[in-house]
Amino acid sequence: MANNRELDKMQVNNVYIPEKFKKAKIPWEGYRIKKEAMGLVQKVFFISLVVGLCFIILYPLLKLFPTVFGEMSDLGNPDVVWIPKEFSTVSFRAAFKIAMGGSIGSLVISVLYALSITAIQIFMSAMAGYSIARINFRGRNIIFALVVLTILVPPQALLISQYLHFKQFDVLGLITMFTGGTIDLINKPYVLYLMAFLGFGLKQGLFIFIFRQFFITMPNEFEEAAVIDGCGFYRTYFKIMLPNAMPPVMTVGVLSFVWNYGDVYYTNYFHPDGPYLSVILQRMFDPTRREAVNDALFKHFDIFLTNQMTFDATKQAALFIFLIPLLIIYFLAQRKLVENLERSGIVG
Amino acid sequence: MKQLKYETKRKFHGFVFILPWLIGFIMFFAVPLVNTVVYSFNEVSVREQGGMNLEYSGIQNYIDLFQKEVTTANEQVLRLLVEENQQMIINVPLIVIFSLFLALIINAKFPGRGAVRVIFFLPIILGLDIVMSMMQLDTGMMGQAAATTSAFADASIAESILKFTGLPAEAIVFIKDIINNIFTLITQSGVQTLILLAGLQSITPSMYEVAKIEGATSYETFWKVTIPAIANIIFFASIYTLIDVFLRSPITKEIHQFAFLKSKIGVGSALSVIFILNAVVLLGLISWFLKKVVKLDYGK
Repeated sequence: MANNRELDKMQVNNVYIPEKFKKAKIPWEGYRIKKEAMGLVQKVFFISLVVGLCFIILYPLLKLFPTVFGEMSDLGNPDVVWIPKEFSTVSFRAAFKIAMGGSIGSLVISVLYALSITAIQIFMSAMAGYSIARINFRGRNIIFALVVLTILVPPQALLISQYLHFKQFDVLGLITMFTGGTIDLINKPYVLYLMAFLGFGLKQGLFIFIFRQFFITMPNEFEEAAVIDGCGFYRTYFKIMLPNAMPPVMTVGVLSFVWNYGDVYYTNYFHPDGPYLSVILQRMFDPTRREAVNDALFKHFDIFLTNQMTFDATKQAALFIFLIPLLIIYFLAQRKLVENLERSGIVG
Repeated sequence: MKQLKYETKRKFHGFVFILPWLIGFIMFFAVPLVNTVVYSFNEVSVREQGGMNLEYSGIQNYIDLFQKEVTTANEQVLRLLVEENQQMIINVPLIVIFSLFLALIINAKFPGRGAVRVIFFLPIILGLDIVMSMMQLDTGMMGQAAATTSAFADASIAESILKFTGLPAEAIVFIKDIINNIFTLITQSGVQTLILLAGLQSITPSMYEVAKIEGATSYETFWKVTIPAIANIIFFASIYTLIDVFLRSPITKEIHQFAFLKSKIGVGSALSVIFILNAVVLLGLISWFLKKVVKLDYGK
């Protein structure tokens, strides 16, 4: 009862506060402190998480730093962890000399190759995707199902018969009829372009899928307006639809460039003698070629103590050189990439 | 000549657009696929002056594959297949969840987000086969992937923390395996992160506003707003991951081994057929499972 009366007094005139309440902290202040502390803890947790993840992703590259930028004699020195004792470009010079023959020719050729394949892939995939998405011809759904099937079947599983098929290439007996024999397509430079052109380059099923998903979301009014204004089919496509399809073009372009530039599968089997840097590097730095690389190091760069680590340092310097075009394209494109992917149809 | 109807013309031109792909499909896909199946039932030998000899041998190739042949690591083929499938069933959800995690982090607003985004998408490049094979060192001494995780493996801190939680030993071993494989996990999650991030950004902000006004906690918002909104994309990312994992599978090396080094084209083709069937069955299972959870809407 007494308690009740005291509280009543408090509420009514707001002046009388009993002694025991005066000492107590004001409740909302404690709440605020708690909330701020929690927020701080969460922030610290979040930041350390982000920094940690970044570190894990970058770790392999960071770890390469002292190896490729340091002196060869410092390799394996336990004192060197992150920063090389003395900076030197000897690994790069060695990689440049040994793997690329002292010229940037193979690098340029590889970039050009990847760019042209990318252009072909974008062009052909966009056409196929447009056709599947917007033209109502008979059997369109079957064709779409077949596209999905080509995505699902791993190309390596078809390797043997594809290889044999190319070795004795013939289209329905036509070529035998005209030339009296089959053509050997293996190790011809144009076979990779041909595959990209006919829609079966590297992961091209996926690219067709991306384009299809994009075009299907485009409003009909674009095409209708174009047709009313007197555009034919091809003009509608090249003047209206394709320029509006920049988001998937971007996405497909970046992915296609990265994959084709780094591809060792198609290039290795169908054009093994090609001037592709990825194939050259893979062959040059095969573990069995350690002695040869080390001999070259000794001959050209006067490195006496050659061992596994000098081989690895050269190999990784070569990898750095190999990565330069990729990283440039990546940094230029990554900002746009996400914005575009959002509108590029995968999201549906 | 009678003027063709607009629709008919359009269909014709559309067919012209898809025609190169159809030719490619027959040349580079249908014929090799049929041939692979044919080879797998035949004894194949390549003649010296070109051309091939096929000798029907029934399912002998398949019997050989499972009973006589061994892989490069001197294992039975069946064992390799089973191990691969086990790995995939564990790895696919892990990769998808991990990339969803990465995507959620980049989607949050914090200072320095642009730089973090650049780093988080690096796996697209680092995941290339050639980059991975050149980064991995042949000596155990400085192996990158090994070193990344040796800190976890050696230090008993992580382990003792795990033990402190009172989890059963199997769970601890499982978690330790994941941590040890984190480099592989990261290198395979680049494109998926990109896809999932795009999905996250396509959710309209008003959904979150409504959830906030209704008093949902961030935990509830995640499960009731975010996940249903990107369910489609998670499905797509899972399928993509599975295909990607299949592409990197060591089985492909075995196929190469049989066909080109041991010149047993028949046996290699048999393995290819089993590999394709395996991929299709696993994909079917995963889509069946996900369809139970996700309501699919693939552009009608």
